[in-house]
Amino acid sequence: MELVERYVAAVQRELPEAKRQEIGRELNANIMDQLDALKEQQGQLSDDDVAAVLKQMGRPRTVAYQFIPPKALVAAEDMPLLKHTLYMVLGVLFVLQVIGATTHWMGSSDGNLIRFLLQLAAGFMTDACFAFTVIVLSFAAVNGTGHKLGNCPGKDWSPKELPKADLGWQHIGLSDIFTDLATCIFLLIVIWYPLWMSPVEFAARSVTFTDAALLMLQWFSPVIVLSVLLSLWQLQQRIWTRTLLLSSIVVNAAFAAFLVLLAFNGPLLQAGPAELHSLFTVLQLEKVFTNGLLITACFPGYEVVRDLKRLRQLA
Amino acid sequence: MTSSQLDKMRLELRRGVLVLAVLASLKQPHYGYSLRKQLQDRGIDIDEGTLYPLVRRLAEQGLLDSEWQQAEGRERRYYLLSEQGKELLAQLTDEWQQLNSALTPLLTASEALSQSSEQNQSGETE
Repeated sequence: MELVERYVAAVQRELPEAKRQEIGRELNANIMDQLDALKEQQGQLSDDDVAAVLKQMGRPRTVAYQFIPPKALVAAEDMPLLKHTLYMVLGVLFVLQVIGATTHWMGSSDGNLIRFLLQLAAGFMTDACFAFTVIVLSFAAVNGTGHKLGNCPGKDWSPKELPKADLGWQHIGLSDIFTDLATCIFLLIVIWYPLWMSPVEFAARSVTFTDAALLMLQWFSPVIVLSVLLSLWQLQQRIWTRTLLLSSIVVNAAFAAFLVLLAFNGPLLQAGPAELHSLFTVLQLEKVFTNGLLITACFPGYEVVRDLKRLRQLA
Repeated sequence: MTSSQLDKMRLELRRGVLVLAVLASLKQPHYGYSLRKQLQDRGIDIDEGTLYPLVRRLAEQGLLDSEWQQAEGRERRYYLLSEQGKELLAQLTDEWQQLNSALTPLLTASEALSQSSEQNQSGETE
């Protein structure tokens, strides 16, 4: 019966320490009973017969899991909450990373856009991996104590507050909110660089905004702050309401109008204190920047038209 | 319906009923193999990989009492319905009977309906 001993030992190896002795003992007794019954039918059993019975019972790991099913790291009930937490935390980390990367980019001498994007991506990936691990392990630790976070009742709700079934767009995606938030914060940092940039860093700039363009941008800052607040409001509501749509229309219309105004009120760029080491001249950059502004203005313009249509649908 | 779908649904259907069958069988003391044999003899074929862990779970929930005994030169773990198990079995039996009495007319009616539609179809063909 050495095969049975080996089989039971293999099952025990897959079990938690506290359960090994008891389950192994019982499994051994059950197998011996089964072999006894077979012996009554067939007479003396060979090793092959025993091996056939054990094989039919299943792999040791499978049998062990039947006795003690493996636990998921995070309970199924907690998965929606885990996903939501990950979205929120990763969104906030993205915004923070945009702030950090933009600050660093503005302070660097060459202002290389590709380096900025790479730094943003690398920094975000590092933070995201760390946050993902911490959040999942925290959920696992709470689940390990037998508590389910997903069972918390949460704030009260009413069916009347649910969006209409045929208006799928009414739900606001977290990615949209965080993209808007990151864009606005990026703009604010770029616009207000004279406030926080040291004279040494400023002297290293090869291209800067003209005084007139910078003044216009700074006057527009309250609208950008309003857009940040609107994003935070969206984060809290998560559903487009009439008031939210109206606010969004106003902000986007202001953005579109301002971008067009800025594009037609050049010159926007001037040579900075440092010598320009670039393939392009300031004039060429100015032309690209102006066209870029006009193209960018199309996005808030499109959103104004889209939100006006949505407003009509809501009515 | 594919055979895997049928297997999955059959498994779901049997899962709850197995608990009832095991609890009802353990009004008398049984060890693992003898319980399996008894269920098999009554037409409930259940593989050991399902039965033994199920019995252990029920014992851990306090629905079964267990005791190791020496018999025929070997030790065996005998299980018997506990007081708590008896109460639960009575409640589950009531539930099962109510379900059964509600389900039987439904299944009979649906069978009669499918038979009459088959007859209509064959009549139209003739």
